[in-house]
Parts: sequence; structure tokens; C-alpha cells
Amino acid sequence: MLPIFELSLRQLSGKWRVAIIILAAAIPIATTAAARATVGTNDGENLDAMARVILDGMLLAAVLPIVTMTLATASFGNEVEDRTLGYLTLNPVSRWAIVLGKMLAPAVIAAPLLVVSGVAVVMVGLDGGVQTAAAVGVGILAGVAAYSAIFAWLGLVSSHAIGFALMYVFLWEGTLSSLLSGIRYLSVRAYILTLMEGVGGWRLDSLQDLTIELPAAIGGVILVCAAFYWLAVRRLRRMDVP
Amino acid sequence: MASISLRSVSKWYGNVVAVNDVSLDVEPGITGLLGPNGAGKTTALHMMAGLAAPSEGEIEALGQPVRDNPEVYRRLGMMSEHEAVYPFYSGRKFVELAARLHGLPDVGAAVDRAIRYVGLSDAQDRALGTYSRGMRQRMRLAAAMVHDPEALLLDEPLNGTDPRQRIEFHDMMRRIASEGRTILISSHILEEVETVADRHLLMVSGKLAASGDFRAIREKLDEQPYKVRILCDDPRAMAAALMRLDTVESVSMDDGAALVLSRNVAALQRAVPVTARDLGLRLTRVEPLDESLESVFSYVVEG
Repeated sequence: MLPIFELSLRQLSGKWRVAIIILAAAIPIATTAAARATVGTNDGENLDAMARVILDGMLLAAVLPIVTMTLATASFGNEVEDRTLGYLTLNPVSRWAIVLGKMLAPAVIAAPLLVVSGVAVVMVGLDGGVQTAAAVGVGILAGVAAYSAIFAWLGLVSSHAIGFALMYVFLWEGTLSSLLSGIRYLSVRAYILTLMEGVGGWRLDSLQDLTIELPAAIGGVILVCAAFYWLAVRRLRRMDVP
Repeated sequence: MASISLRSVSKWYGNVVAVNDVSLDVEPGITGLLGPNGAGKTTALHMMAGLAAPSEGEIEALGQPVRDNPEVYRRLGMMSEHEAVYPFYSGRKFVELAARLHGLPDVGAAVDRAIRYVGLSDAQDRALGTYSRGMRQRMRLAAAMVHDPEALLLDEPLNGTDPRQRIEFHDMMRRIASEGRTILISSHILEEVETVADRHLLMVSGKLAASGDFRAIREKLDEQPYKVRILCDDPRAMAAALMRLDTVESVSMDDGAALVLSRNVAALQRAVPVTARDLGLRLTRVEPLDESLESVFSYVVEG
């Protein structure tokens, strides 16, 4: 698995891609700093609104899934498109190991940048302490893992992975999970928010309509990672490698 | 025992039949898989390597099923026709990746040996993106054989190579085959594998049209004229000179090129550069036309 992981890290860490990802991760921090300059330290209502808009609306609903999507869809997608997947499959390496390497690499690149972004938003903008920052970090790590699994699988099954991924992010995670309460149980965004609250022991009133029970969120993340990992392995075993 | 065997193998994509009820055995030594473009050679090779699943039939390589059986790749190697590589990797790193994925005990020694075999030791530390097409092909071959496979499948391995590299490649294949290994080389250019392969398989329109010793097949093929397109700085002078040769049946002009029909390609190959030199002409391109090859293969099928 290690050679495939190293190869994928190298493939996904082109300077332009990394520059764009750093820029995307910096947007919530810059927005928080700008908002913070205009909001008083004791203005609880405005802090709550900032959490809703920047932490959830910007970072969790847009930046996190899009950054992870950019990396994870390319993880297998580029191999299929460039017809280099055979260099990996024509070896005595189990399909489980190939998929693991391909799913871990985008997560390892995206996670540090997004965690830094989330922690900075909480520390700078929401007066959060160490525990809150750690909770945001845990939530983001879980989100990156789940999205990496989903989007890496998508890159393997479709040549239009980015289009489908954007539809999923904006329609399912961004819109429907806010409007229909049942969908929250099938929403990575809801899992992340619930983990942040559960681990951090903090509570933001404006985000209550997006959270679920903590065990359901933990189970949801594990289930999503495992299910899409299994689906990707199954696909790799059955597909005709170009 | 055959190294690779196909039994009643078919492959179709929707309504398109790529390979149609093919049964064949590939023995140790060098086998040429010939056929015009679109004959189903690449699909057949992909199925032999386990990259594609047959729609029907059974395939075994080295006594094992190839599909969804990664362990078979400890003894089987393949170089596909797609020339894509990881351009950011050096040639050595690329071969090293293959060696590591095979779990070889001494990666460094295996990589050294494979790169030395293809004669690219001096260029091994350069990025693959800077390689010529021929160099890339040779480094890909090094990666395909880094684990010293018993059977090697090569899909159009001579694409982009120059005549000198082809001779070197033929020598390399003969050396490998002399160690009792199995090599299957696919090509749509007859001349590329004619001299190196011990046995030939001819595919046309997804079917196995003929197989066996090349001389018998060649006699049939030689009954059909072979079409070659020649570009030079004075194609009319070249056409007039070639018309005088016994080996040339006819010459016509086509879009600024001389189109030559011959039943003796080997003699024509020797005559063209000599004629150009005698006339003081500069040859810019000499290419066999696939269309003529297809007609030759069709003739074999119909015959």
C-alpha cells in the first residue's frame, strides 16, 4: 500500500493544486478576521451568526467538501483518464491495498489545511478554547475521511465525477440536509457538526437544526467510510481497466 | 503446457463484438499477435492480462485464472500500448515503483538489472516527461519485466522506436525467450514481428484468422500487394525511379506522396533508401498503409 500512497501523494500535490487548496482554506480565516474586526467580543448573537455563516455555511458546507472533492476525485480519476491504472493493478497487490492508498492520500493532503482553517476560525472568530478547537479538528478529520471515501469511489466509477460531486455537495449536503430533517442522518455535514458539538461540549443555537445524536453521527461516519471503501474495491475488481 | 490459453473467449461492448469465440494457446518462445487496427488484439491482450473480463469463455495464464487474481502477476508481466507514464517520476523511480509493488526482496538490484537490460542506465535519473517516445517505451518495458516474469505480454511495443532500437529490441526479446520464457508481441505492422517471432497468431475482425509458422502465412500474404507511402522532396522523381524496379508493381501520386504497390516489401525496404541516395533526394517519411494491411488480412481470412 505504501508505494501507492506515496505515488498518490506526489500526483495530488502539484503546486497549482496545492496553491488553490491553500487559498480555499484561507478564505474562512480571512472572512472570520474581517468579520471579527466589526463584531464586539461580548456580542453573543453576532458570534452565533458568524458560526452559522462562516464555520458551517462556508467551511463545512463548501470549502471542506470542495477541497476534498478536488483531490479525491483525481486520486483514481486521473489514473483512469490517463490510462495509468494498469501500472497499479498489474501487480500482486490486493485491491484493498490499492484503494486504501488512493483514499488516504487525498485525506492526508486536505486534512491539515482544513483543520488549521477550522481551528483558526474557532480561535479567532468564536472565542473558542482548546477543547472547542480540538472538537472542530476532530469533526473536520471525520468529514475529510468520509468525503475522501465518497469522492475517490466516484472518481473510479464516473468520468464526470466532479459534476456529480458538485451536485451532491450543493444539492444534498448544502440544500436538502438543511430543509428535510430526515436527510440529516445521511449527511456528512450533519455528522461533522454533531461531532464538533459532542466532542467539544459546546452548543451553538443556530446550528441545532442541523445536528443529530452523537452515536448516530459516529456510526454514520464509520458506515460511510466503510461502505464507499468496499464499493471502490468491488468496482476495481470488476471493472475493465483501460 | 501452454503458458497462456484462451478457450472460446468472446468479448463484446454493447452491440460491438471485439473478440469473437477465440481459442488459442501461447507456448514458451516468441509469439507474434498480428492484425490490423481494430482487429481485437488489444482487447485479447487485456483479457489475457486480466485487465478486462471476457464476456464468455475461459482464460488461464501459467496455469492460473487471470481475472481478479493479483498473485498471477508475480509470474506475468504486461506492457500496454498506452504510452502514458508518471511524467514527474524519473525512469528509475518508475521502475522502482513496479519493483516495490511486486514486493521484490532486493529492489535496487532488480531495478539496476531491468534498466541495464533496456540500455537506459545513463538516462535513469531523468524525469520520464523529458524522455523521447522510444526511451519511454523502453523504460516501460523495464518496469514490465523488473520482476523477471515467466510470461510477458507486449502490446505494440515498437511504437515510436527507430530502426536501431527495433533491432536492439528484437535482440532483447530473443535473449529473454532463450531463457525459456513466453513472450507475446502484438503489432499491426507485419515487418515488426516477422523476423523475431517463432510463431504467429493473426486476428481479423475479432476472430483468429490464422496461426502457426510465419512462412506459410507469409506465402499467402505475399500474393497480395503491399502499399507503401513515400514522402520526399521530389516524389515524382522517386516514383519514376521506383517504377523501374522489379519488386514494384505500380506507383501512383497521392497528395504529394508516392504510393507504391509491391509484393516484396523486404526488397522495397532496401531499394527505397538506395534510390533516394542515388537521386540525391531527402526522404521525410516511409510508411506502410494500414488499409493495405487490412486487405491482406482479409485475404487470409477469405483464403
